[in-house]
Amino acid sequence: MRTLILGLGNPLLSDDGVGWRVARGVYEAVKGEGIDLVESSAAGLGLLDLMEGYDRVILIDAIKTAGGKVGSLYQLGLDDLRSTPRLASPHDVDLALALEMGRALGTVIPTDLKIYAVEVEDPYTFGEELTPSLQEAVPTIINEIAKSISPRNSAPGI
Amino acid sequence: MASCKATDAVYHVEPPPAAKKLRELFYSAHYIHSHIAHFYALAAPDFVVGPQADPTQRNILGVISKVGLETGREVIKHRAYAQQIQALLAGKATHPTWGLPGGVSKGLSEEERREIEEKAASCVAFANLSLKIFDDIVLQNREYLDLILSEAFHMVSYYMGLVDGNNKVNFYEGDIRVVDPEGKEKAKFKPADYLSHISEHVEPWSYLKFPYLKQVGWRGLSGGKESGIYRVGPLARLNAAEGMATPLAQAEYERMYSTLGGKPVHANLANHWARLIELLYAAERLRTLAHDPEITSTQIRTLPTATPTEGVGVVEAPRGTLFHHYKTDARGITKEVNLIVATVNNNAAICISVKKAAQALIKAGTIVTEGLLNMIEMAFRPYDPCLACATHALPGQMPLEVSIYNHHRELIQRLKRD
Repeated sequence: MRTLILGLGNPLLSDDGVGWRVARGVYEAVKGEGIDLVESSAAGLGLLDLMEGYDRVILIDAIKTAGGKVGSLYQLGLDDLRSTPRLASPHDVDLALALEMGRALGTVIPTDLKIYAVEVEDPYTFGEELTPSLQEAVPTIINEIAKSISPRNSAPGI
Repeated sequence: MASCKATDAVYHVEPPPAAKKLRELFYSAHYIHSHIAHFYALAAPDFVVGPQADPTQRNILGVISKVGLETGREVIKHRAYAQQIQALLAGKATHPTWGLPGGVSKGLSEEERREIEEKAASCVAFANLSLKIFDDIVLQNREYLDLILSEAFHMVSYYMGLVDGNNKVNFYEGDIRVVDPEGKEKAKFKPADYLSHISEHVEPWSYLKFPYLKQVGWRGLSGGKESGIYRVGPLARLNAAEGMATPLAQAEYERMYSTLGGKPVHANLANHWARLIELLYAAERLRTLAHDPEITSTQIRTLPTATPTEGVGVVEAPRGTLFHHYKTDARGITKEVNLIVATVNNNAAICISVKKAAQALIKAGTIVTEGLLNMIEMAFRPYDPCLACATHALPGQMPLEVSIYNHHRELIQRLKRD
């Protein structure tokens, strides 16, 4: 089984870079044969390019919800993403449609897709650092996601 | 890319020729992926599947089922090629950190050049295939050709675009040329002089401003020669220029104008054809630049030595002319910034186009269906608007409300999508 840990966001926009930070942390915690890390700012069809050939994808991005507590971790389904700015663009298709397209074209696309969203405080201000409360939550988030990735399932050929 | 050029100007520095070529190489690849995504994912469903087709089919999957899986794979492959070329040059395809005042941070190795050369040749073939698909499915269908030329999607305006020294389309640099609704040159100016030619009208009901030509004036939301409203984007660029600088794109350019009745073309839906001609031009430029012996030069930066002050950078973004204007302090920290993005340039024209389509398509007694609403959206879609860029708001969705009144201004029907 090939696994991709995919961090999304823009690391130059403060908390929008949390997907990259968490993805790298998760990768460091579970790394082994068959596990890759990609940090990207892609969306839509660009995500299809990245996911091609993987059986399992762990996607991590920032989210800002009304009244959400900074550092909360949500696991989302494809339908939840239909209207987010990151994964649905007026210039592109959304992730669900991109994957459906990959399937129609016979591309090897992940059968196991886990989408994690981390509640952030400020994804708009230029800066390479996370806000302090989010920074504090990052180790716990990494631990929680890493726990869900069973090393046994990551061994090649299983 | 506009910000790169604005910082060149702020630091009073001219990038060496190889750096300019590398930037244009990157930018050509950017055009390729942007135009492919727009045409196949956003524009083609209306024509290939049908403007009033079931929305569950009227998408890129429906397009692939009509044009075939093999073509679908080519779409994905060439879009990815363009992204790979951008990443190869600039580290990342999206949010690259490569442009510097006076040049770029990394050059191109011979091995990388060969890779781009190979992909560029494939992109030229793919652009030709895309034009053939457009020809077979759209132009050979009389109904679609009539739709393109119909009054519902017709708007008369001025057109703007960057041109090279021969008045040919150029995405990266040149003078800004404006032509009037008859195709005659109305203005030609250096990007740094944009404030002498463009003003931005403000309406209280919109976050977006409404730029117009100072020389002609603001006459409200109306088109025509008396109104200073101008358009940018693929069709506007072709209208504002006297041709394309590459041979295959030039031949397609001539074919488009001869098919649609001469220059300028005011048919909004012709933007889709113009976009494919630009796809071919971008692929040809990619190939030419990849062949250029200077492209692997290590002279890729002129170090700035002057104190930064103020500068303007203008490029043709895929959606149209993009202005960046910065004023800085002596440390290069921006103090004032003005951006006019493509969608802002087109704002007034988008409003007029949508209204015109709605008025032409909805008559007394017309039952407003989802398909009909889509046909109104078809007046909006050719501009490929980015309202988030234009308003600096990120709602992540596109609420739409259509209100239909009778001639007594009584509300007959209201359709709403949140």
